[in-house]
Amino acid sequence: MVLKNIKFVAVFMCCLLLGTSNVFAKDEAAKQVVDKFQSELIAVMKNGKQLGFSGRYDKLVSSVSNSHDLTKIARIVVGKEWEKLSDDQQKKLVDVFSRLSIASYAHNFKEYGGESFTIDSEEETTRGGVVVYAHLSIPNDKDVKFEYHLKETDKSWRIINIVANGVSDLALKRSEYTSILQREGFDALIAKISEKIDNYSKL
Amino acid sequence: MNRLHSGNGKILKTSLALLIGALFLGGCATTAVEQRGIASKADPYENINRNVFTFNDTVDSYVAKPISDAYKWATPQFAQTGIFNFFNNLKNVDVIINDVLQAKFAQGAEDAGRLFINTTLGLGGLVDAAQDLGLKQNDEDFEQTLAVWGVPRGPYLVLPLLGSTTARGIPGSILDTAANPASYVGAPIQLVSLLNTRANAQGSLDFVKEGALDPYVFIREGYLQTREHLATDGKSQASLDVDNELGDDNTATSASDKKASTSSKANYSLQLSSAEHTANSFGSATQSLDQTAKSFEDASDKIDKLAKQKNSKKFKKAK
Repeated sequence: MVLKNIKFVAVFMCCLLLGTSNVFAKDEAAKQVVDKFQSELIAVMKNGKQLGFSGRYDKLVSSVSNSHDLTKIARIVVGKEWEKLSDDQQKKLVDVFSRLSIASYAHNFKEYGGESFTIDSEEETTRGGVVVYAHLSIPNDKDVKFEYHLKETDKSWRIINIVANGVSDLALKRSEYTSILQREGFDALIAKISEKIDNYSKL
Repeated sequence: MNRLHSGNGKILKTSLALLIGALFLGGCATTAVEQRGIASKADPYENINRNVFTFNDTVDSYVAKPISDAYKWATPQFAQTGIFNFFNNLKNVDVIINDVLQAKFAQGAEDAGRLFINTTLGLGGLVDAAQDLGLKQNDEDFEQTLAVWGVPRGPYLVLPLLGSTTARGIPGSILDTAANPASYVGAPIQLVSLLNTRANAQGSLDFVKEGALDPYVFIREGYLQTREHLATDGKSQASLDVDNELGDDNTATSASDKKASTSSKANYSLQLSSAEHTANSFGSATQSLDQTAKSFEDASDKIDKLAKQKNSKKFKKAK
């Protein structure tokens, strides 16, 4: 009887250990995605001038696509309007949205002035996501606090949202995109996004 | 260096510009949009607000920006930094008052130290000496205090020339103005403050212009989120937010309803936590008053004892 109890406890402990290692692996995998993306971004910034906009864009295509779930983000930012779009419109939206996301990184991270990213901690959310807390140190300026919200898709972790000093990029974009869709329609939204991509490449 | 007013960090810088914009001109270019369909519950007066936003933007483009550009051209960077530091230091009087009103006594002491160091070592506030000593600048104001006390935010408003605010922000700004020593100096000095603020906001305004598909919505959301973040000291419902956004991803049917219910839940819990916080604040205020009274009692006991000792010594000597 005692032996049985010991066995039970041992099995229970094993399960517990497996469980924690699984949680640990989850956090670790999510953290690695953020870490890799941040180092690639810093590398692009360091060579920003030589690369030029198109050079930075080309380098960031795989960095952004492999770390962000751009399709899911594009779906979320249009909210319930997604269901009203045709298959072609959905494809078009995901395509221009992805290009805009990469272009805005290529435009905004064009130079290096001693900035560095540091990952502070990570935490699992109630719905199985992971939040990675990090900050960007800027010489002679205040740190910027970042929260990367990640979700697992097809066995890899992807960034779904970035919260910078309390401002959620996803919530901000969602308000903008749904507002334009409701006020001006799908074609106007695509035209505006294309115009922004075009401007970024010229600035 | 392109000062990392760039990237996602810029989103924040942008929202900072919005706060600054609340002081002066919160505007930037907007394209003409049809005046229909109000999407946000936080913004029931969107149509009027958009008109004021366009007006502010026009005034900004034709008046404020040219003057601010001339100021930037004529004023060396070190002078701009010095002026920023000077007014920022004066603002700490308001910050300290609000630290106390929110029962953040330790932070209040830190901010008082900051004000003292910068006013003395920092040459009247021109140099941010406290920063080098590791005292960070805290951001408190009356609007945040009202939020902590449980006053509801009310609708989002865009005021002519003053820019973004909320119903709760208006009394907040009036009290902030009254509590800021810079408000009692002459008009020319205030003009310098305004110019400097506008000049500092240029990077963020450029970011909005370059990145926002709908600058009005971008500024509104950035402003509201930043205010929420400040009022809750970063404990706002960011994680709830994303779960909610993700939740409706698979069932896109009632996204806004869900969002509303989650945000109302979040608001409710925030209200609860703010009520709790207020209760705690009062609790800790009473406690610290008790402690102060006790320490006074202790001190007077000690003085009594000392007096007794002295008396007894005198008595012995006299003997």
